[in-house]
Amino acid sequence: MPENGDLSGLVADDRIHRKIFQDPAIFDLEMERIFARSWVYVGHGSQVPEPGDFLCTRIGAQPVVMTRHTDGRVHVLYNRCGHRGVKVVAEERGNARRFVCMYHGWTYDTNGDLDFVTQPEGYPEGRHPDKVRDGMGRVARVDDVCGFVFANLSPEGPGLRDWLGANVICLEDLAASAPDGEVEIRGGVHRYMYRGNWKFQIDNLSDMYHPAYSHESSSRPTGQQFARRKGDKGGIEFREKRGRVKSMDPLGVSALPNGHSWQGGLPQIENTSELHREYVRRLEARLGPERTKDILAKTRHNVIFYPNMAMQELNPHIRVIRPVAADLTEIFVYPIRLKGAPEQMFREQIRILNGTHSASSMVQTDDVEAFARAQEGLSTTGNEWILLARAGPETVDHNTGRVRSIGTSEVAMRNHYATWLSLMSRER
Amino acid sequence: MTGAENGPGDAALAELIVAREVERFLIREVGLLDDRRFEDWIELFAEDGTYWAPARIDQDDPWEHVSLFFDDRELMTTRLARLRHPRVYAQIPHSRTSHTIGNVTVDPPDPAAREYEVTARFVMLDYRPGHGQRSFGGRYDYRLVRDGAGFLIAAKKATLLNCDDVHEAISIPF
Repeated sequence: MPENGDLSGLVADDRIHRKIFQDPAIFDLEMERIFARSWVYVGHGSQVPEPGDFLCTRIGAQPVVMTRHTDGRVHVLYNRCGHRGVKVVAEERGNARRFVCMYHGWTYDTNGDLDFVTQPEGYPEGRHPDKVRDGMGRVARVDDVCGFVFANLSPEGPGLRDWLGANVICLEDLAASAPDGEVEIRGGVHRYMYRGNWKFQIDNLSDMYHPAYSHESSSRPTGQQFARRKGDKGGIEFREKRGRVKSMDPLGVSALPNGHSWQGGLPQIENTSELHREYVRRLEARLGPERTKDILAKTRHNVIFYPNMAMQELNPHIRVIRPVAADLTEIFVYPIRLKGAPEQMFREQIRILNGTHSASSMVQTDDVEAFARAQEGLSTTGNEWILLARAGPETVDHNTGRVRSIGTSEVAMRNHYATWLSLMSRER
Repeated sequence: MTGAENGPGDAALAELIVAREVERFLIREVGLLDDRRFEDWIELFAEDGTYWAPARIDQDDPWEHVSLFFDDRELMTTRLARLRHPRVYAQIPHSRTSHTIGNVTVDPPDPAAREYEVTARFVMLDYRPGHGQRSFGGRYDYRLVRDGAGFLIAAKKATLLNCDDVHEAISIPF
């Protein structure tokens, strides 16, 4: 951390300083200036369908609880007692009429308000705990798009839709790809961790330069990766005939305001299975053939919702990034079920996600190895810089601020760090 | 009254024989993983056999909920072929493992049965040079079918005590 607090020297046009990944003081500042001031993904409404349902998670390093209150509203509460600060909710998820603190029995409503103080006569006139001020505390702002709930610990700054910009369309398209027009999170969660900085995962999700190298072991001798959907004729092509690495450039990558970005998309892989045809029939029944074709022409691969979430459409799931320390990160991967799609399709989706995104996956294990090696490599002092210099022709969509370039351009990563610097430089 | 050698003694002996037979099979099975004889390990599975490591402690279905592993033979082959790849970076250097198996129960206790439900407890140590040693452990549930003089695995389920923990990368089956 520079002594005067000026971080601008750490981010240049085509390179960033290694301290960004190494310095614990910078990590602490990220928790304050990025995770406590941006719209951070928390969970999906379908994870708390009934009043009293709750789900414990984190915003940055802070424990929070997402609840559905008796009036049906979703709240995000700081997970601490108003009295002595003890974490109130210890189970990861469940249903409760009220939350009771284990320490002195203070009781809270599912909207975080203080419901009951034990032995209230012990508080003299004028000192009795206040229902709201001494409650668990609701985070400043909570909003959702298609049930995807985001929270912002700061009352100031743009609203959720302004923050997400064109990424809103990605969530809407995902919901539209469900025959019932809605998605839900179901089927549990894959969890894994790595000994590296959280930003490695963000950058990797916009990185189309690495797959043929990092993930070479997941491809067949023909240069094609295993199929990612039941009925797909094959997987992603890493290599062409004669072993030349196939360039991902034609797929494109896009950088959006506020650090968001899209990959791709991937080329259409033919799927002629009866299951897929049944899904298409169901989708057409609601949307008609034109719109269905439009929705199925999946043009994006990973979509990053800066700073802590990414979604993937091909085998629908979201990935949540949980920073723990400068050199420790946890990843949570949730399958998304397209409501109204054939049940067997979701089962296949789960099966394939086990292979691609579990702790024992055939893909992520390479990525986390790269992240841990980057953390170690960046402890060396002979070179202070990481290069993000790859670039190609760029087109700008002035309505959305989207900058699109060739697939292996590092434009999205430069965009992550432009946003990073701008958020990190704001003193209030 | 017949002699004791024709009474409960025979049943106990039969149970001992089948228990020992199954135990030897399991010792060989996990030993193939420790010896990195992955191709031979796959051959122990029936054509439609499955290897499953749930991600939730009370998970009774591999289809409705995510798992650490849920492989049919095709996926096992893809997964273990990857471990042979010269550039499988997540396994350079590769893990050394040691599987220990115990508390084996076999049902039915009858050497003539076609199919057996087997439970056991296991510990697997996983040491990847430079990465410290990890220990995994829990319960095995097998369905074994007779195959000539030996068995084939119709299903193997490995439920880790900490199956829902946040794990670092895992490469070798439990």
